Amino acid sequence: MLYQRYIEIGRVCYIRLGEHAGKTCVVVDMVDQKHLLVDGPMSGVPRSTIRLNQVAITDLKIAIPRGCKTNKVRVELTKADISTKFAKTSLSKKAEAKKDKAGLGDFERFKLRVAKTT
Amino acid sequence: SSGINAEWPLRPGGKPLSKTNEKTPIYKMRIFAPDEVVAKSRFWYFLRQLKKVRKVNGEILRLTEVSEKSPTKIKNFGIWVRYDSRSGSHNMYREYRDVMTTGAVTQCYRDMAARHRARAHSIQIMKVAEVKASDCRRSTVQQMHNSKIKFPLPHRILKYNKKSIFVAERPSTMQ
Repeated sequence: MLYQRYIEIGRVCYIRLGEHAGKTCVVVDMVDQKHLLVDGPMSGVPRSTIRLNQVAITDLKIAIPRGCKTNKVRVELTKADISTKFAKTSLSKKAEAKKDKAGLGDFERFKLRVAKTT
Repeated sequence: SSGINAEWPLRPGGKPLSKTNEKTPIYKMRIFAPDEVVAKSRFWYFLRQLKKVRKVNGEILRLTEVSEKSPTKIKNFGIWVRYDSRSGSHNMYREYRDVMTTGAVTQCYRDMAARHRARAHSIQIMKVAEVKASDCRRSTVQQMHNSKIKFPLPHRILKYNKKSIFVAERPSTMQ
């Protein structure tokens, strides 16, 4: 298949921008070509609409009916164990690495520079 | 964004509503406006057109913001609009998909501005109603009525990487 990842009901997405940046959520419904109705009960994302360009699609997907309730989303997420599966994805690892790098102090940055040049 | 306000004014008399005066008519309107100030202004604007009453002779009894009953349910909205173009006045029926009524009306105003260069002052929202999916008339709305809807994001161009304007290799646009 040319396209592996689709925007579809049940697709797990990673929020790149906005108030809930860095969290994952599940596509519950689609408003239009640019907006999704999204819910992330396990990651603290309230059921809300979000723009498509705020979001990155992951490989993970759960089976939920269109527009289902938050509780059902929570049940399906725990059943599929999305949180551990997502932690293994490269997207998650890169986000972690970026966060660690941003949290470095001056001395740590010096040590990093030295380590890179040797 | 717009908020809905329902307003109740008092008719000419100039006096505040007293319990004994039962004959004074009360009018209520559903106004879409970004804030209270504009809401009141538009209320008087419409009321003047419909009834022989002016702001000076009336009194607003209540101004309340009506909140959305189901803010997490996606709905199809049919909006009946009247707008003034450069050469005349026209009626329109437009459809939008949104989670809130006020969101759909906001979309309508933006859409009218974009497609018809109609400014807010020349637009009158006559009616807003939630429309069942089977009754929708516009294809852009109908195309989302698919319980197994899915689409890829081919050739995804993201704007976030402002640092790298010049790069050695073309960026990957796979989602």
